[in-house]
Amino acid sequence: MPRLALGLFALILVDVMQLCIPWVIKWAVDDLEQGVATTKSLFNYGIYIMLLALGMGVLRFIWRFLIFGFSRLVEMDLRNRLFSHLLTLDKPFFNRTTTGDIMAHATNDLLSVQMAIGMGLVAMFDATMITIAAISLMIYLNPTLAAIAILPMPFMILLARFLSKKLHKRYKKVQEKFSKIMEFTRSTISSIRLIKAYNQETSQTDHLNTLGKEYVKNNLKLSVIQGILFPSAVFISNISLLLVLFFGGRLTLNGIISSGDFVAFINYLLMLTWPMIAIGWVTNLFQRGATSLGRIQNLLDERPVIKDISLSDKSLKLSGKIFFKDLTFTYPGQSCPSLSDINLKIGQGVLGIVGRTGAGKTTLCNLITRMFPVPDKTLFFDGHDVNTLPLSMTRGIIAYVPQDVIIFSDTIANNIAMSRPDASIDEIQKAANIAAIHSEIMDMPQAYQTRVGEHGIKLSGGQRQRITIARAVLSEKPVIIIDDGMSAVDMETEQAIIKSIASYIKNRTCIIVSHRLAQLVDVREIIVMDNGRIVAQGDHEKLLKQNSFYATIHKHQTTPQS
Amino acid sequence: MQFGYGYFEDDHLGDISDLKLWQRILIYIAPVKKSLFIAILLSILINSSRLALPYLTRIAIDKYIIPVDPELSGNMQGFSDIVIIFFLVMIFGFIANFFQIYTLELSGQRIMHSMRQHLFTHLLRLDLHFFNSSPTGKLVTRLTNDIQNMHEMFTSVIITIFNDLLMITGILTILFWMNWQLTLLLSIMLPLIVLFTILFSRLARDAFRKIRTNLARINSFIQESISGISVIHMFLQEKGTYKKFKELNLKYYGSNLLQIKIFAVFLPVIEILSSTALALIIWYGGRDILSGKISLGILVAFIAYMRLFFQPVRELSQKYSIIQSAMASAERIFHLLDIKEPVEHSGIKQPHDITDWSLRFNNISFSYEPGHPVIHDFSLNVPSGKTVAIVGATGSGKTTLINLLERFYNPDKGCITIHDRNIMDIEVHSLRRHVGLVMQDIFILPGSIKKNILLDTVLSEEKFLQILSDSQLKQFVDRLDMGIETIIGEGGIELSAGQKQLLSLARVLVRDPKILILDEATSNVDTQTEMFIEQAIMATLKNRTGIVIAHRLSTIRRASHIVVMEHGRIVEQGTHEELLEQKGVYHQMQNINLFNENSNRRL
Repeated sequence: MPRLALGLFALILVDVMQLCIPWVIKWAVDDLEQGVATTKSLFNYGIYIMLLALGMGVLRFIWRFLIFGFSRLVEMDLRNRLFSHLLTLDKPFFNRTTTGDIMAHATNDLLSVQMAIGMGLVAMFDATMITIAAISLMIYLNPTLAAIAILPMPFMILLARFLSKKLHKRYKKVQEKFSKIMEFTRSTISSIRLIKAYNQETSQTDHLNTLGKEYVKNNLKLSVIQGILFPSAVFISNISLLLVLFFGGRLTLNGIISSGDFVAFINYLLMLTWPMIAIGWVTNLFQRGATSLGRIQNLLDERPVIKDISLSDKSLKLSGKIFFKDLTFTYPGQSCPSLSDINLKIGQGVLGIVGRTGAGKTTLCNLITRMFPVPDKTLFFDGHDVNTLPLSMTRGIIAYVPQDVIIFSDTIANNIAMSRPDASIDEIQKAANIAAIHSEIMDMPQAYQTRVGEHGIKLSGGQRQRITIARAVLSEKPVIIIDDGMSAVDMETEQAIIKSIASYIKNRTCIIVSHRLAQLVDVREIIVMDNGRIVAQGDHEKLLKQNSFYATIHKHQTTPQS
Repeated sequence: MQFGYGYFEDDHLGDISDLKLWQRILIYIAPVKKSLFIAILLSILINSSRLALPYLTRIAIDKYIIPVDPELSGNMQGFSDIVIIFFLVMIFGFIANFFQIYTLELSGQRIMHSMRQHLFTHLLRLDLHFFNSSPTGKLVTRLTNDIQNMHEMFTSVIITIFNDLLMITGILTILFWMNWQLTLLLSIMLPLIVLFTILFSRLARDAFRKIRTNLARINSFIQESISGISVIHMFLQEKGTYKKFKELNLKYYGSNLLQIKIFAVFLPVIEILSSTALALIIWYGGRDILSGKISLGILVAFIAYMRLFFQPVRELSQKYSIIQSAMASAERIFHLLDIKEPVEHSGIKQPHDITDWSLRFNNISFSYEPGHPVIHDFSLNVPSGKTVAIVGATGSGKTTLINLLERFYNPDKGCITIHDRNIMDIEVHSLRRHVGLVMQDIFILPGSIKKNILLDTVLSEEKFLQILSDSQLKQFVDRLDMGIETIIGEGGIELSAGQKQLLSLARVLVRDPKILILDEATSNVDTQTEMFIEQAIMATLKNRTGIVIAHRLSTIRRASHIVVMEHGRIVEQGTHEELLEQKGVYHQMQNINLFNENSNRRL
């Protein structure tokens, strides 16, 4: 803020100094007129002008740097705030907000906020200064005439107010359409393989064309407002001129004011033309800034659905005993429950989960990891209701391998160490070994430093899955959940992972969701889910005998002939 | 040890010269030249109305208020005439101004729209090599922010340049006519200004290039962070992620500050140059007056005009930052447009005459990166109407083969033929229309379930519902409040991996391809559901040539021929029984699959 004040001060100084240059010229001309000018005095006047110019140059640098720098600083801070806020939001938010929309907020909207702060502030300040100066001089010359001159100006303010409401609405639409374009191009590019394989190029281009045309249409609607706003400013300042000409002319004719004063008055009035134009300009900039800020504020007002709490008892350590009690869960916005009457105790050792697609297996994992809000008194960690535990505490004991593989466009080492950035390369390699991918990584051109591209595009599906397993293993947390995390891995490698992970998960709680029973045959406890319910529970032999679904898939997976 | 998520882009992309850039921008401007012409006409009218008003004021004052001719004094008739003219000119100015703003917006928006469409169409034609190395966020930035960045250039700068140049030439002519010696003196400023501007344009362009690059980085980072938000949450990496973002944001801030500094020097320097000219004229012109060479009146008028002269110069230099910024964006956009499209669209032969959809891989070799071959001399024959299964360890090159068949990439050696016709000779869209691919990675486009299955095909409601139940999605859809209109993907509900696979199988059922390729299409689906859907596929796509990639025995066994791959080569092939008899790799895989139920490994 002191920077801003200093910048504005420099701006005032420049304005004042600017008024000095005509004086110097006047002195020089006066000297010449009176014949007292000498080569030396003329040279001196030249030097004065140069000095003033240099001083103004320095001050201009200062205000530009300080004020515009300030606007960029605000922009950066807001962007940081926006991003750090996004990191606190949960799945329900991300399920209804698109990435492209967020990107538009973080770039396009922040830009208009920045413009309002930088350009808008300078223009407003400058205009105010000139207005005050001109009006004071006008009042000094002739208060009555000044009153007449100022008379139309409130109309400008009223008009600006009225139009800025419209401007707000229309600019909001424009920004929304921009978000749409951003999201559409983003989703198209990130699905490029689908677009190509299914010949969707034309239909996507057509759709962008529609979106683009809507954007153009909305911008034109906006420009109608601007087209009224900007010329109105000129129009109204001209009305002032007309009024002064008319009434002032009469006063002059009647000899009430001197003709010299009248001419001077007109000149001051002409000084007001630029500030009046600036009103239109500033209104536009500020309104855009405010609209965008409103949009950003809406994002900042978003609160995670899952209420996080902090715990006074710092000594509490969770061991990873998980207990579901009569849990029924419905996704936000849906009316059919995805899980019903879940009663389940999970302790040390491996729990296998099998079930039809859509049976609720992933939902169960989503609740344990608290990606979605859990109803009170239905899920307990070490006997504590999860809703009484901080998120960081429950998540702090879980390593999760999600079904949808998430790989960042970074090196393999960094992708694995994502779960524990301070891990040493030895630890990373050890984890990769457990996930049975170490030797494959070593075969790559740059081994662990190989960059994998966005979404790990340069890796095979199985390699991606194993990197995420290594990531989970590296974090060495008491609970590990592998949600169908080996589906793209061949059977041989799968067995290798299961073997190496067996010793790792000793003394740990492990949940494996899988469609391949080979992964689960040695597991003590397996649950079978269907339609959001646990329909059977037991070990392999027991389920083979008692659950028909289990028996059927077992048969399919072991009998070579149909 | 963590760096930012990988983002590479040179700040210098082989600079395109300004002249070339303008030439290319002109191509986009050409279609709206009529509107621009109108806008220029309007701006001339607006300017004359602006000049007319003070002129009218002067006439009013001189003639009627402080009359030079006493006869006219108090002539209210003449006075009100002028007032009426004044008022009419005002209204005229208003209307002209309105239409100018509207016309400029219209042409500017049209230019931007066509540029965006052009870039988008071009990008969609580029091959996957390009997409693999270009972060999504960067391309999105080019398509949106960078195009938006040119808005002001098209809507205000072009007209201003025209006006100002006109003004500068006009004033210079008047000055020259008034006193050519002084004008020459003034003119030494011009080359200085031009020189200075060129020098600064280098600096400014560099700064703006950095800004554009850093903005694209921010976008890429946001895009990646959001798509990985659940992992970031899970491993409590919010702080680390935020730290990285802050660094990127700081870099962006830094490059903006650099730009501000550059212009905070540039603009005052232009002002100083203008004051220098003033000082020179007072000093030099004053001496001329002293020596009686010129009159004082000329000097005063000269000073007045000179200030007028620097007005457009100042305005131009202020618009200069907008131009430089827009040019930095234009450069990036044209750079993308300059990336050559692969020749895939040259194929002319339409596969109408193909009746026999036999598929043959002939001695294919391929590598993504030179020196690291992924496929070695691979040959395979898939007879028409038969299904071949490909099995093998992850990373053995199975998906790569499919990529080659889809012509996502072209083989380094060898060729793939359909009915003995090289697929390189088949127009790529017709090729892809007949090859139904269910990919390992499933892409959901934001939109309804229905839209995602149909994409651009049109299907009767009845047929669609049939496919929905064939693909085992009906039960799931029925549970949703909005049914098939439920929005999925970004901004909608999330499907489980298995549900996504069912959906992508439904996509193939809709399209009825001649060749069917299932690349681990059911790896996340339970065996029972898989069986149902495979029956549906078998029924719908009877006797199609097919390739199935899978790890699950239950999926493989339906194939008439099985190929075992290892490190990009075929190591075994034959029917299931033949392979079992060979007691090789396949046999071993089977043994793993038929797991040992008597193991004592209890977990």
